Amino acid sequence: MEEEAETEEQQRFSYQQRLKAAVHYTVGCLCEEVALDKEMQFSKQTIAAISELTFRQCENFAKDLEMFARHAKRTTINTEDVKLLARRSNSLLKYITDKSEEIAQINLERKAQKKKKSEDGGKNSREPAEAGVVESEN
Amino acid sequence: MADHNPDGDPTPRTLLRRVLDTADPRTPRRPRSARAGAQRALLETASSRRLSGQTKTIAKGRSRGARSIGRSAHVQARGHLEEQTPRTLLKNILLTAPESSILMPESVVKPVPAPQVVQPSRRESSRGSLELQLPELEPSTTLAPGLLAPGRRKQRLRLSMFQQGVDQGLPLSQEPQGNADASSLTSSLNLTFATPLQPQSVQRPGLARRPPARRAVDVGAFLRDLRDTSLAPPNIVLEDTQPFSQPTVGSPNVYHSLPCTPHTGAEDAEQAAGRRTQSSGPGLQNNSPGKPAQFLAGEAEEVDAFALGFLSTSSGVSGEDEVEPLHNGVEEAEKKMKEEGVSVSEMEATGAQGPSRAEEPEGHTQVTEAEGSQGTAEAEGPGASSGDEDASSRAASPELASSTPESLQARRHHQFPEPAPPPGAAVFFAKMPMERKALEMVEKCLDKYFQHLCDDLEVFAAHAGRKTVKPEDLELLMRRQGLVTDQVSLHVLVERHLPLEYRQLLIPCAYSGNSVFPAQ
Repeated sequence: MEEEAETEEQQRFSYQQRLKAAVHYTVGCLCEEVALDKEMQFSKQTIAAISELTFRQCENFAKDLEMFARHAKRTTINTEDVKLLARRSNSLLKYITDKSEEIAQINLERKAQKKKKSEDGGKNSREPAEAGVVESEN
Repeated sequence: MADHNPDGDPTPRTLLRRVLDTADPRTPRRPRSARAGAQRALLETASSRRLSGQTKTIAKGRSRGARSIGRSAHVQARGHLEEQTPRTLLKNILLTAPESSILMPESVVKPVPAPQVVQPSRRESSRGSLELQLPELEPSTTLAPGLLAPGRRKQRLRLSMFQQGVDQGLPLSQEPQGNADASSLTSSLNLTFATPLQPQSVQRPGLARRPPARRAVDVGAFLRDLRDTSLAPPNIVLEDTQPFSQPTVGSPNVYHSLPCTPHTGAEDAEQAAGRRTQSSGPGLQNNSPGKPAQFLAGEAEEVDAFALGFLSTSSGVSGEDEVEPLHNGVEEAEKKMKEEGVSVSEMEATGAQGPSRAEEPEGHTQVTEAEGSQGTAEAEGPGASSGDEDASSRAASPELASSTPESLQARRHHQFPEPAPPPGAAVFFAKMPMERKALEMVEKCLDKYFQHLCDDLEVFAAHAGRKTVKPEDLELLMRRQGLVTDQVSLHVLVERHLPLEYRQLLIPCAYSGNSVFPAQ
């Protein structure tokens, strides 16, 4: 049993390390872009620090999101939780709200399309149409 | 001394009589022979020992004093002898012999005069004089005139016995009522006690005690006064912010403000004021009036801030006032926290009650501030002891917040201008003088910080689909601050930093009859 726990720990640790490596790589790519843009070089230590910071902040975000969702008596993290998380930074909040509105619109459009499809399919025959309407309404 | 032992139980009266007979009528300060003093000490010791048979503590004191007196025949012994004067013996008698001391006919007034008699006797200023003044008992006599009639018969019976004692030379009368009623009988007795207590309390039946009435303290005026006094020297600041124990500051006041309606009474007001200043001292935990700046910056939950709010709440001050002091308290707490470097996350949690939590722009809810005080307690961590109290008070404030969410919520929609905390508060926390500009900057930062906290609280409440800030919001805030963790729960903070009164309000506890308070 202890061995299992140890192996589990090792697996989690290795998984965590892989995640960290992925974050580090992504941060490195982003930093390169910024360096090209601003014509300023990034040292390796800086990139490492940023990636470590990002990783830890992700942990915090996750915990906060879970807290927010639980605070709203939900078990699923919502866009509302994300917005609450980003409220500190005004620009970030604005960006996220815009994005969320976009996504909401896309969802509405998809729903409308689905409704249309079901309605068209229902017009072929009245009975199926009524059933379809009922279903779509539901 | 052995010769004086009566056949039956020596009553205190007889003992006292003997003592008085044998005692030197002159004040003990006059020089006497050591032997005389020692003898007197022995005499008093013996009698005191008999008297102390009824009271262990007194016996201990007397025996010690007697022994010390017996050992040294110096002037010091005389100093000890002074403790054994007939006056002190009479005091002892009054303490231990209720039947003779209580003159009131029925139980209505019986217990009351006894404590009053005891207390005034202690306050006798003149030494060696056997005259105790008890004017207050006279009004008490008017209380139950109907009862006096039957009682008088008993009194007269007692008086007759007493009169015997009087005739035998007992100069002291232990029946104050006798003065009022049977002045003719006890003409030689002048027993009146100073009135240390309020005459009102005399009218209470039995041992009923009126709940301490607290007059609403005008926190705004208080804060203004504090502000007006230019940078006060640290001494004054320390006086104002005497940590009494977090809940104290605010807690006793807060506690009373919560459930009780404000009473107006001279004494109560004084007591309240006294407590407030006391609480402010501890500043810590309890919602010190907020000014004491002892509150750790811990979130608005700083119960201390709440204490201020509470004081105002008790008086029924509009939420604004409450909010203001709370805010100040919170600010103070925050300042403290900044200086102490303690995380204020707890304060957030506590914000629920106290104004410290008042993250909401409306203002801090004092109620839950008790929790806030706890939060402050957390914020305290290191640093001034008062800081610790504040921190605890802050943590407590979140708990407290729950207690007054409703009243405060009504006021939430108002943005209350916060009264500026006294500039000395930051100096107190920094433990070194600060420039005025620095103080202003700190104050600005605290303002923003508390405003932020309040906004967070409001957002949290809205996030949960509510319009009222609840303790859950405070707890969430404290979590984000890091004061409440998986290892440290909110209740732990409440227990750590809030005084007992607040803790009772915040932590659900099962009482008799399967009732849980506060109800979940």
